[in-house]
Amino acid sequence: MKKELIFKNFSIYFDHYLFISITLLSVMGLFFLYSASHGDLNSVIKQSIFVGFGLCLMLILSQPDPDFYKLFSSLFIILSIALMFATMIFGKEINGAKRWLNFGFFTLQTSEIIKIALPIFLASYLYNKPLPISTKHTFITLALICFVFYLVYSQPDLGTGLVVFMAGVYILFLAGLSWKFIFTSFGLVVLSLPFLWNNFLEPFQRQRILTFIDPSNDPYGSSWNITQSKIAIGSGGMSGKGYQEGSQANLNFLPEAETDFIFAVIAEEFGFVGICILLAFFFFILLRCLYLAFNARDRFCRLTIGGLSLVFASTLFINLGMVVGIIPVVGMPMPFISKGGSSLLSFYIAFGIIISMATHKKLMQK
Amino acid sequence: MIDLNERFIEKRSFFNRLIIVYAFFGIAFSFFLYQTYSLQVSEYSEYETAAIENKTKEVLVQPIRGIIYDRSGKIIVNNVPTYDLIIRPSKIRSIENFLSEISLIINLNSDELNYVKENFDLKARYNRELVVKKNLSKEEIARFEVRSYRFPNTFIDVRYSRHNNYPKLFSHAVGYVGGVSNDELTNILDSQKLPQIETIFKYSNGFQIGKTGLESTYDDLLRGKFGRKIYNVNAVGRLLDERQFIKPKNGENIFTTLDIDVQKVAYDQMDNRRGAVVAVEIDTGSIVSYVSTPSFSTNAISNGISSSEFNTLIKDKNKPFFDRASQGRYSPASTIKPAIGLFGLENNIIDWDFSLDDPGYFILPEDQRVYRGWREGGHGKVNLNKAMIVSSNTFFFSLAYQSDIYKLIDYLSNFGFGANVCADCFNPDKGLLPTPEWKMNNLNFGWYKGDTVNLGVGQGYLSATPLQLAYYSSVLANKGESKDLSFVFDKTDLKNSYIKSQNISDLDWKKLHQSMIGVIDSPIGTAKRLQELKKYIVAAKSGTVELVSTETKEDYKIIRENEGNRDHAIIIAFGPMPNPKYAVSVVIENGESGGSVAGPVAIAVLNSLLDK
Repeated sequence: MKKELIFKNFSIYFDHYLFISITLLSVMGLFFLYSASHGDLNSVIKQSIFVGFGLCLMLILSQPDPDFYKLFSSLFIILSIALMFATMIFGKEINGAKRWLNFGFFTLQTSEIIKIALPIFLASYLYNKPLPISTKHTFITLALICFVFYLVYSQPDLGTGLVVFMAGVYILFLAGLSWKFIFTSFGLVVLSLPFLWNNFLEPFQRQRILTFIDPSNDPYGSSWNITQSKIAIGSGGMSGKGYQEGSQANLNFLPEAETDFIFAVIAEEFGFVGICILLAFFFFILLRCLYLAFNARDRFCRLTIGGLSLVFASTLFINLGMVVGIIPVVGMPMPFISKGGSSLLSFYIAFGIIISMATHKKLMQK
Repeated sequence: MIDLNERFIEKRSFFNRLIIVYAFFGIAFSFFLYQTYSLQVSEYSEYETAAIENKTKEVLVQPIRGIIYDRSGKIIVNNVPTYDLIIRPSKIRSIENFLSEISLIINLNSDELNYVKENFDLKARYNRELVVKKNLSKEEIARFEVRSYRFPNTFIDVRYSRHNNYPKLFSHAVGYVGGVSNDELTNILDSQKLPQIETIFKYSNGFQIGKTGLESTYDDLLRGKFGRKIYNVNAVGRLLDERQFIKPKNGENIFTTLDIDVQKVAYDQMDNRRGAVVAVEIDTGSIVSYVSTPSFSTNAISNGISSSEFNTLIKDKNKPFFDRASQGRYSPASTIKPAIGLFGLENNIIDWDFSLDDPGYFILPEDQRVYRGWREGGHGKVNLNKAMIVSSNTFFFSLAYQSDIYKLIDYLSNFGFGANVCADCFNPDKGLLPTPEWKMNNLNFGWYKGDTVNLGVGQGYLSATPLQLAYYSSVLANKGESKDLSFVFDKTDLKNSYIKSQNISDLDWKKLHQSMIGVIDSPIGTAKRLQELKKYIVAAKSGTVELVSTETKEDYKIIRENEGNRDHAIIIAFGPMPNPKYAVSVVIENGESGGSVAGPVAIAVLNSLLDK
């Protein structure tokens, strides 16, 4: 349902389904974070400031007409790329990775911004291209995707890089990439896997994948995280150990409990029942996006809603899959739940834009 | 502008494609949910166990060793509690800093400092505790307690020391305890089906096992069973709180047959001379006294000794660590004569009336070699009785000469020669009962008749430990019946044995005892000097072990200049006659005279036993 709340002489564009479910998720996130951080009120307060700010930002970003985003999408992507370069030069290095730009009051993970900017730009680039997308446009698009991917990947941040890459590919696919091209390139990618393995993956990334294939090969080394995560989730059982009662998180067995592995904390404390309820919110959001994409006013809006919702779904799946051990460990936060401002803000921005795309109607259609 | 038809196619294509991707995610999330379901529901118990194992840490708790008592219930070995300053080396970064800071509060002498420095790395590696200072005074405890916050991983706790109340008297009988190697510890823990994990030690010196003596032979009983403490821990292994405590089962107390008073008499009588005393209760085979001298303090060895002191003990040429009582091999010399005499009677080679002329030597008919007695000129006409009293060599040379070596060896084995006679002695030596085969295999020479002749007076290859001699003495006292020796009461698995004989009557035994009484009581007895020392009627047989063979008294005077060449003094005795209760053996190395040097020790021990 699209709503325009009419106040005297101006209207507020607002989707209360998305807004309410995202707000509830964010509040639950704060609640989980309090437990995962062993009752550290400071983290929770800091995070709730981000949540409050993010919800406002989402509301604000819902207001401009989609044409505004279409018009300024090239500016957004250029700014984002500039931020990436700035990170490369001025970035704060943590654990050998340069992903953060320090703004004094806030440290921004710039790849989180480009993961929104890229699909919007590609949607604005492809929305008027005839079907199927011509080889020329396909290659231009792919070149840009690869360039952005490389910027993120070289930080190094394979996880976000993959999401960025997928974000671009989703748009290209949804915009009507020819099936012939898809099958040909798929074949080529499969053939070039050994080459990618040897030349593009860092040794620790290769180790993670190997560990994923055989977790028993090093229980206290790189698979420690996943082993502890599985123990946390498994020991939660059907109904969980109770809020703040999870021994795996409380006694620090679970690494990254506040960030990437927060799902394991939730699963340990609330059990299978708890996570089903939590996931219902995520699935509701995704299905709502599907509905909004179908009812969007034009191709640009459709592509943007589809692309951004798929970025959301990908991030969620990579995080969850990693935590339960069905995909290799790549750093990936759980949307709206994990601690960390950049990821949180990027999704408020994304949903702000989604709501804008979904609620604005073309005058002539009215 | 795209026309309407194309827009419709575009819309359809978009919808289809978005549905495809959503379907992919649907499958992916289903897979995810399935995985979560297996973890949380299907494999729940497995992961529940893993989570509990994760957050708990089990440590072993060392049991306290059993107490060792003497036969009257007095404590020989006890566990003495002390307040010790203890550290966990694995969690202390710089030992130098620690020592310089702790020294300001608690005075550490150079031995203690060195001990800590020497053992720090090892204890850290095995995650064991290290006692920095034992037996803190009340002032030291108070000084530490108020500053304890400055010393993480440092604490004061009650620890025990293994303490022998008579550290020198029982050094060989009871033995001492000591640390274990990692392999030994693993074996011990395996035997109790325990993993080798961190252990809370109740002893200042950590895990200790009996190394020698009764501490070693009864280690299993004394040791007890480990307890287990289970803690909640966090991921870095920090102990949070106690979850469960299964108390250790402390070791069993051992009630020995040893008598502190008699042991003291024997030890004092030995007066640090090299030798051994073993006294046994004849009826029960129980060992009442067991002394090997010179001795050492077991407490020093068990509870920490400086390396210089240890080296002094190790290098001492009198070998204080050597347990002469069960490991020293000595020729029985003339003490063998009663057994040889019995053999002669059993095999009808002689009877009590048989006599021969003792010129002071025996000439072996085969090669004309001369075998001498101890007295030049001999003892004149000797029968078995007199031959025992005056210790005539010629009589027993002659008797042995007429003996079949295999029969003789077999007969001697009845008296414990060449065998283990003790059920619970630590590492006893069997001595040597030589056979022709043994000689061929070991010395590459055939058995000469002369070897048999030498055996008749207990010289040559035959050797026995003081323990075996005490057993032998008790077999003689008990008319051929005997029980294996042992250190504890009511040992049920003691082997009873008796000598099968066809020709030896009770009368023969009485006559034999009478002869042995004559060794002391007769005016011509070799141990007649003991007459004034003894309070009871005692049967005995003295011996003098020749270490260097000499032709004349003058030759002996020359070789005795070197103390190590002097004859060993040896005696076996039992009493009170006619119903002997205790049997004793005494060996004094280089003591020269069995009767007058070893004899007084034996008499003093028997007196103190019988006085009770």
